[in-house]
Parts: sequence; structure tokens; C-alpha cells
Amino acid sequence: MVSVSKNILRGVLVASYIGIIILIIFGVSAIFSYLNTGADRSKMLHTEIKKIDQYLPKVIWTPINNEGRPMDNQTLNSLENDYLDAWYVMHISYLTNTTKGIEDYYTESARENLFNIVNSNKLDNIHVDGTTLEHHLTLDFFSEDGQLIVLTDKEVTEYKAVYKNNKLILETTEISNYKIVLLLEDGFWRIRHLVKEKSEEFKEPIHSVDVANLNIKGINYYPQATPWDMFGNNFDIDIITKDFKLIAQTGLSSIRVFVPYEGFGKAQVKPEKLEKLKQVLDTAEANDLKVIITLFDFYGDYSVLDWTLNQRYAETIVSQFKNHNAILAWDIKNEPNLDFESREETKVTSWLKHMIQLVKSVDQNHAVTIGWSDAESASILKDDVDFVSFHYYKNINDLENIYQNIKKEIPLKPVVITEFGMSSYSGLWNFFRGSEQDQAEYHHTIQDIFAKNNIPFMSWTLYDFSEIPKEVVGRLPWRKKIQEHYGFLNLNGEAKPSFKYIFKQ
Amino acid sequence: MLKKTTYALLFCLIILSSFTNIQTLKSTAPLTLLTKDTLFQAGSDVVLKFSGSELNNLTLYCSNSYGSILVKPSFESNTIQFKIPAYLSNKTGVITWKLLNEPNSLTGQIKIFPKHEVKKIETYIGPPSIQAGNRDFSMIVVIPSDPLDNPVSDSTKVDIKYQFLDSEVVEPVFTKNLIAYKNIYSQRKTGRYLVSTECLGINSKEFDVNITPSNPTNFSITYNRHHVYADGNQITTFSTSIIKDEFNNIVSDGTFVEFFIKTKQNTVLKTSGNTVDGIATAKIIHPDHEAQWEVKAYINGMSESNTLSLNYKQVIKDYTVAFSKNNRAITVGPLQSFMNQMIPDGLQVEILIYKNDSLINSEIKTSNQGFVSFVLIKDKYPDDIYELKIIAAGIEKSFKNIKLW
Repeated sequence: MVSVSKNILRGVLVASYIGIIILIIFGVSAIFSYLNTGADRSKMLHTEIKKIDQYLPKVIWTPINNEGRPMDNQTLNSLENDYLDAWYVMHISYLTNTTKGIEDYYTESARENLFNIVNSNKLDNIHVDGTTLEHHLTLDFFSEDGQLIVLTDKEVTEYKAVYKNNKLILETTEISNYKIVLLLEDGFWRIRHLVKEKSEEFKEPIHSVDVANLNIKGINYYPQATPWDMFGNNFDIDIITKDFKLIAQTGLSSIRVFVPYEGFGKAQVKPEKLEKLKQVLDTAEANDLKVIITLFDFYGDYSVLDWTLNQRYAETIVSQFKNHNAILAWDIKNEPNLDFESREETKVTSWLKHMIQLVKSVDQNHAVTIGWSDAESASILKDDVDFVSFHYYKNINDLENIYQNIKKEIPLKPVVITEFGMSSYSGLWNFFRGSEQDQAEYHHTIQDIFAKNNIPFMSWTLYDFSEIPKEVVGRLPWRKKIQEHYGFLNLNGEAKPSFKYIFKQ
Repeated sequence: MLKKTTYALLFCLIILSSFTNIQTLKSTAPLTLLTKDTLFQAGSDVVLKFSGSELNNLTLYCSNSYGSILVKPSFESNTIQFKIPAYLSNKTGVITWKLLNEPNSLTGQIKIFPKHEVKKIETYIGPPSIQAGNRDFSMIVVIPSDPLDNPVSDSTKVDIKYQFLDSEVVEPVFTKNLIAYKNIYSQRKTGRYLVSTECLGINSKEFDVNITPSNPTNFSITYNRHHVYADGNQITTFSTSIIKDEFNNIVSDGTFVEFFIKTKQNTVLKTSGNTVDGIATAKIIHPDHEAQWEVKAYINGMSESNTLSLNYKQVIKDYTVAFSKNNRAITVGPLQSFMNQMIPDGLQVEILIYKNDSLINSEIKTSNQGFVSFVLIKDKYPDDIYELKIIAAGIEKSFKNIKLW
């Protein structure tokens, strides 16, 4: 007995000894590896590149033909980077009335000029939210020792919103010419002299597209399995082809699709996404469908310093497809008026106005519109769009009146209802009101109204969906459930009663 | 009672009339710009005057080269005045302005031109040293600025002044693109340019640019030695002629010259030296056996010398090798030089030990007082039969079947 318990005791002692040793070794090695983490030589000098796109105005160089030393590409790149960064820190400076970063991009005597303005604006509680959208650079001179550069920057498009006591006082876009002397100091090309030689207010070119033949009878389209993620990993052109055939068979002639801003890669639009969009457009063309592309889906920043990135994105997509036969129009943004409250109406409308100008500058052949979420917003920027479009989910009986009123206000431009529809959902969340019959009845009636008033339309939507992303209607189940059942076809792809009224021949 | 009501009425009327007065003023007096000047010199007071009497919350938006501000008006001598703050009106360029709070806001521009005087001349010169010979140049860039740190107007004359040996030159250049510049080409002679600039009576400080010699041209070499014998002890010195560039300038001190020595066996020995006053010297120890050398010097990639040949005579004709202590002690010597004197200490003697035709060890020793002795210890070389080979002063002696015991 004694020997057994002794053995147990021995065993326990040996086991606990081994355990303690393991713990100590583990602890020491943990400390050792912790102390080693900071000592990685590759990280010691912070040499890793952390460049993110924050400011990408359009830069056009005139062919390099400068006096002095011949220019090389590497210097030219670092000059362009530093020069644009100088503008960027200046915008930030005037937006926040702080001077952080200025000393990196302006020489000691030049920065005084900025500091004076910042100080005075700070005192008067003025701030300027500005950006530059285009630079046309000419290299005038590069000194033989590689330390001094003279640039001419022509037709700099500068947008400025001037606020006093946080109230917008003035919005202006100026086109200016600058002469700049830069010195290479501490590895930065710093601005030594900046002289504005010419400046005038930007007169937006009025370039309207002929929309007389705009006979839109269409539908908003998302594939059944991947709503709000049409160009994601589950992109399947076969499904889309099948759906487009079906849409074309109903007699509808157009579709509206959505291009997500972040999903497409923001300013650096991903080529594989463009390829997918091209396949969609090719398929649409093959089925005689015209496409309205809604740009900037799921975008919501609108800050002025973001404009250069936005315009790079829009420019890439629009220039890529402006000659595609399937394009019907560009919808700048879906329901931007919903952001008026959180992002200030003036900011959002300035942004929209600028994006319309930009799209029009790239593509002069296709119409531009904004898909307002309600009839009340329809007249905003009516002079800028080529046709007005809004979404209607309210009482069907008021539609005729509302539409006529808008027509009266905007007699010269087509007014399109680019979203309307009714959910066939019947369940706990709407007390079992609503049914597929009601939905069919709704579409029947509304098609009559469209026919009678000759209203161009695009319905919402082809399919019922099984999963709605929270970004669309939020997390509330009664919203999501209802949103799932707007389709003409149910989850199994079978026609609901409303399908008969998808289009009135 | 009646009086009271009339007073009240009158009072009301007065108040009413004052209101109408204001309203008529507002509506009938559109603002017009009274200031006709649009050109101002930097540093002058820039005041924009408008007709009108009501300040009425007016604001003037102003934007110059560096930024934008809002200016508040003042009312003086029946005009509305906006004084552009000095930090804007001190800087050259265009100032655009816009009168806000008006339905058809007035806009305009004024232009600020720099003062016609110079306070500071920023001068940048580089590269600081250039090669002689009219091809290479240094560039001087000048940014003259006025007392308010504005670059002077285009086409302002800047004198570039430079001195070299007995010539002093003043050359005018004119500012363009906010700067003025000039290339200063080197002369055929080496030396130093002293450069300064002058603009509107103000002079810069002195700058200098060194003209360094151009690339070296081919040169010749000579040698110097105490005797012709290959004693492995004396030193032969090679030296170059005075190395010059194509314009007869002596090359810079420190120019690196490499001497390549090719022996009869086609091995290459190398020695080197740097020039002082155009002459580079390099030294090498005499060989310890007869040799024929071909020597040629190079300045890498630029120039080369003639080829020298020199011979070294064998000094040690023969030597004896003595075995003792069970053949384990080997004495080489006496090693005698050209006059039969003992060779100076340090001559290299090598012993190679073979067993069954394979090399098992070798040792090198240097001579001391004309002799070298090797001891083959038992621990290393157990009793057996060995073959030994001795090499000294290029003479090889072989001893077969040497028994060690």
C-alpha cells in the first residue's frame, strides 16, 4: 500500500516537474520571440511602401522639351508626386485651418504665405473645402545640378466651397494658370514660388444629348442568386444570358444594372470587373437590350477631397464603354437624395453636378441621369441631366397627378420612372396583407397609367431574392422580408401572376 | 387726446417712412465698382471701392496664388470699401474677387506686379567642379526677388559676372519663367572661376567653380633599382612621367595608376600608386630567382603607358643540403649571393615531403644568416622512407629514398 501511494506521489512530482519545465520553456520562448518581433531588420527603416490613393487629379504633361538638363522619368515621377501632394496638403490645410504637412512641400519662405491665409481664415472662422481636378503641366526648366525646376501648370480646374461659420457662402470653380518654381530639399520637391498668372471662372459647357428617341420600357436587373453582387465571385454569364433572353421575350427593351464603386476597385478599377461588365453589355446587345449603367453604387462619401478618386473611377468605366452599342444612358448614382441628411444636400448636389460634367466630358453621345428615390427630388439638377428619372413606390392612385406635375415643371426633358414595384410578401411582418394577386393588380394598373400617359418606365425587379445584404435596406427583418418579394418571378424562377403585366404590348 | 393721436400717427409715419427709405435704397442702388485700377504694385494698399451706402452683410471673396479668403467691408466717404489684406496684395499674380450677397454678384480681377527692386538674390550653382576643355559646364541659376519675396518680372536684366585667371567677364541674361540662368563653360586650363550676380544694383555673394583637369593622356614609365640581381630583397621602383590631360594640365593628385607585370611564366603581378604632381610611383620587391618582366601601367579606362622590359639575374647558383640526426635535421645552405656574400635574411626556402609518390606535407621557412634548417619530428613523420624536395631561389633539389629513423 505504502509503495503504491509513494509511486503515485513520485509520479505526481515528476509530472508536475515536467509540467513546470514545459511552462518555463514556453514562457521564456514567448518572451524571446516577443523581444525579437520589433527587431526585424526589414522593418527597422520603415522602408515598406504604404502608398494609398488619396488624390488623383487628371494630369496631362505636354511633351517634355525643357531648357537645361534633360529630364529623366524617375525625377519626373517624383516631381509629379510631390507637386500633387503639395496641392493635397494645401487643400487639407485650408479645410481644417491647420498647417500639418505644409513644411514638407513648401520651402520656408513660401509656406509663410499659406500660414498667413490659414491664420486669417481661422480667426474669421472661414474654411475652404477645395480640390483640383485637372492639371496640364509643362516642364519649362530643369537645372543642370538637378536641384531646381520651373513648371507651368495650365488650366488647373479648381473647385472651392467657401464656408463661414460652417455655412456655405460660395461655390466656385476656377480655371487658372500657374508658374511654379520648385527646389529639391531633403528629398522633396518643394514649392519655392507659386504665381497665379491667369484665372477665370469655369463656365460649364452645356452639352445636352438628344434624347428624343428615348423610349424606355425596361426592368431593373440583378441575377436571382447574387442580388447587389452582380459582378462578384459568383458571376455567371450563362445565367445572365438566360435572364436577358427571358426579358427580351417579354417585349421589354432595356435594363438597368448597378456598378458598385468599392467592388469595382474605386479609383483603380479592376480589369476583371470591367471584363465582366463587358460580357453583360455584349449579352445585352446580343438580345437587343439597351442598358442603363448606374455608377457609384454603394458610394456615400461625397467629400470634396474624394472627387479626384471618383472621377478617375467614372472616367475609366465611361471611356471604356462609351462606344458600346448596348449603352442607353449613364445613371450617375442611385437615390443620392437619401444621403442629403447625413452628407449635406449642397455637398451631394455639387458632387453630382461635377460627376455629370465629367461623364459628359468623356462621353458626348449618351444621356446622363440621376435615379432620385422620390418624385419630390426629381427636379433637382434638372438642367444638368439629359433626362429626369425618379423612383415611385407610393400610392399608385397619385401617380398620374404627380407625374403630370413634374412634366409641367420640366416640360422639355423626358421623365422616366426608373424604379417602381410592389412586394408580394405576405407574412407576419406585414400582418398577412399583400399577396401575389395584389402585386399583379398593381402592375396591371400601373401599366395602364404608363400607357395612357406615355410614361417611360423600368420596373423593380425580375426576381424574388432570398438574401438581401444589410447595406440595401438595413437589418430590420420587416424591411428585408418585403424587399425579398418584389420579383415577377419567384425564388424558383416561376412566373408570379404579375408576370403577365410586366409589359403592356 | 387729439394731440396724442396725431403725435402717435406722426411717429408711426416717421417710422414707416424710414422703412420705405431703406427699401428704396436697397432696391434702387445696385453696387458698381468705383476702383478703375486693375494693376497694383506688390506692397501697395489695394482697396476696392463700390458705390453704395449699405454694408448689408456684404462680403468679398478674394483668391490669389496661395489661397482664398473673405473680406469684410467698411463704409468710408460714401463708398463701400474692401481693403485687400497685405498678405494677399503683397504677392504677385492675379487676385480674383467676387462680391457676395448680391443677386448678380460682381466679379473682377486685379493683377499684382512685383516691385522694381531686389532684396535678395537666390543663386544656385552646380555642379561645383567641371572638367577643363570647353565642353563641360556649370549652370548658374538666379532667382532675384523683391523685398516682399516675389520673383521679379520677366525680362529683368541679371548680370552674371565671372573671373578666370586674367579675364573678368560680365554677361547680361534676362529673367524668364521667374528665373535667369547661364551655363559657364570650362576653359582649357585648370583653375577656379569666381562667380557672382547682380540684379537691379544688388549683388550676390561670391561663388566658385573649380575646373579640374580633363582625362589623362598616355604616358611613359621608367624604373629604378639598386642592382640587377634577383635577391628577393631589394626593391624596384616604377615611376611615371608627368601625366597630363590633352590640354597640358597635370592630372589631379591622387589619380590611380596600376602597374601590371607579366612574368616569363605568364603570371601577372600588380602594384599601384597615386599621382602627386602628375607622377605616380609604385614599388615591388625583387624576385628571388631569375626573371624577365614586361611592365605596363594603366589609368583604368583612360590611358596607358609604354611597355618596359627588365631582367633579373640569378644570384644563387647552387646550395648544399645536409642531413643529420637520423636524416631528421635538414640544413640548407650556405645560400650565397652574387659576391658570395650570405644572402640577406628572409629568402624563402620550401621543403616538400612525399611518401609513396604522394605529397604529405610542405613547409616554408626563410633564411637566417644564409641558412635554413628543417626538423622532421617523429610524431609527424614516423620512421619510414620518404622523398624530399627542396626549392630555393628557383633551384629545385630532389632526394629520393631518404630513410628517417
